[in-house]
Amino acid sequence: MLDIPVNETVTLADLTRDPYPIYRQMRAQTPVVRVAQTNRIFVTRFEHTKWIKENPEIFSSDDPMTPMKPAFQAHTLMRKDGDEHRAERMAMQPAFSPKVIRTDWADLYTKLAEDYVSRLPKGETVDLFSDLCGPIAARILAHMLGLEEATDEQMQRWSQRLIDGAGNFGNDPELFALSDAANAEMNALFEQVMPRHIAEPNNSAFSVMLNAKTPIPIRQMYANIKIAIGGGINEPRDALATILYGLLTNPEQLDEVKRQDAWLDAFEEGVRWVAPIQVSGRRTTQEVQIGDHVIGPNETVMTIQASANRDEAVYADGEAFNVFRDKHPHQAFGSGPHHCAGAQVARRTLGQIMLPLLFERFPNMALTDPHEVIWSGFGFRGPLNLPITLA
Amino acid sequence: MTKITFVQPDGRSQTVSARVGDSVMQTALAHSIDGIFAECGGAMMCATCHCYVEDARTGQASQGEEDLLDCAEDEVRPSSRLSCQIKVTEDLDGLVVHLPVAVD
Ligand code: HEM
Ligand code: HEM
Ligand code: FES
Repeated sequence: MLDIPVNETVTLADLTRDPYPIYRQMRAQTPVVRVAQTNRIFVTRFEHTKWIKENPEIFSSDDPMTPMKPAFQAHTLMRKDGDEHRAERMAMQPAFSPKVIRTDWADLYTKLAEDYVSRLPKGETVDLFSDLCGPIAARILAHMLGLEEATDEQMQRWSQRLIDGAGNFGNDPELFALSDAANAEMNALFEQVMPRHIAEPNNSAFSVMLNAKTPIPIRQMYANIKIAIGGGINEPRDALATILYGLLTNPEQLDEVKRQDAWLDAFEEGVRWVAPIQVSGRRTTQEVQIGDHVIGPNETVMTIQASANRDEAVYADGEAFNVFRDKHPHQAFGSGPHHCAGAQVARRTLGQIMLPLLFERFPNMALTDPHEVIWSGFGFRGPLNLPITLA
Repeated sequence: MTKITFVQPDGRSQTVSARVGDSVMQTALAHSIDGIFAECGGAMMCATCHCYVEDARTGQASQGEEDLLDCAEDEVRPSSRLSCQIKVTEDLDGLVVHLPVAVD
């Protein structure tokens, strides 16, 4: 049994800029390593990250110190385990089920996507990231949660404030003041729409929770909706931008995707290639062995799904975007009890509706210059811009 | 060794040897059976391991399993089960598991 090696050199700034060469080296040489700058243990191999997420008794999501608590003004389901977690999650899950998407949402999403795409000016160069990816993700989520009254701008701003607050490990009061203000706006809207959902129930998440046979407490409903606002906008936005980049920089693959109508495969490959949520944290509840190393209780382990998704042991040439690679399950949606509640929604809205529609309307769209696209992010990753000429 | 037969919607079937203690879902993955995805790895959170089983030896679905079955992709029938919730025992030898039709 070996001591855990310590990496003194890697910084958060390096990881934010481009983590992939670092992860490749870690997978090969130090697959379980303490990164001194974060004082967290990074786990980078596919086999280990999957196993950790599927063993919540040893690797808990419950982190009492998380800044998510002040940011959300609640202890949310993402940071709970066991029965308590299941009860809250199942209160919301029906709104995100494939059946409800088919019966209630598919037509609406298609119409929304058509609206947003038809507003784009043919022949001009636009930043699709801010002009399409963000707003459409916000609009679809507003409907799914039962918050149609919120504007795209509000949804996106609230999401960002929650995320900034939840990542506020330095306890900067300014950031919590901003998330508090966002919480106040959200709470006001929730109170405003509650009577509507009680009078006219539908299959949105808020309605489903309010009208359940044995409802969970109202404040937990609020917390759940906030989690979905925090987690349901940036990931589809970043996933869409990533897939578009992958297809537009690999035109021969794009042609083949169009020919075979392989949009769902393009979706899966995009989120495998650059996982929108790159890292998930877990806390050890006991001493445990990972690979060759023994780790004590109460350590924070970062499972790096971004790295698992490119692991040489599973994927040939995993660093490359290749829609037509041999299929193998990826971990972009996590695994275990916290497996993404919105995975089916994301697949359908992006893979079945958005991508085909966008390329039907702009079959010859092109990136003005791939080198202009800036990629960024350690916890959450994607392009920050996507300058595209629409044709 | 327990034998389990997986039957696809088109009638193709495959009989495999299952390890006692594994779940039916793990058995399916180990033998690359089509139609079982098991995205949550058996945590009863995804319903992508849905199957049909008419065999009293497998017992009843729990309340949690019933709730999640409502979120399954395919048609839910009285015989619907989550294959991650069925444990392979010696007693289950000869079990037949039907896979659902993929929708759209
Ligand atoms: C408003 C919503 C959310 C915010 C602001 C947020 C942000 C964060 C941050 C910054 C952390 C703590 C990072 C750490 O412990 O080092 C955390 C844990 C995490 N959350 Fe949430 N999260 C939100 C909801 C979600 C949702 C819904 C998802 C999935 C869709 C998600 C995925 C993660 C991941 C992957 C981490 C990784 C970092 C970590 O655990 O350490 N988060 N959350
Ligand atoms: C491509 C888009 C998306 C990606 C890549 C993604 C990824 C993830 C990941 C990796 C986790 C697990 C975090 C962990 O293990 O701690 C997660 C959890 C979650 N996601 Fe997503 N997500 C996406 C879209 C969505 C959407 C659209 C929604 C809202 C409907 C959503 C709602 C959630 C929720 C509520 C959780 C927390 C589940 C729990 O803790 O039980 N996600 N997501
Ligand atoms: S594997 Fe996810 S519910 Fe069975």
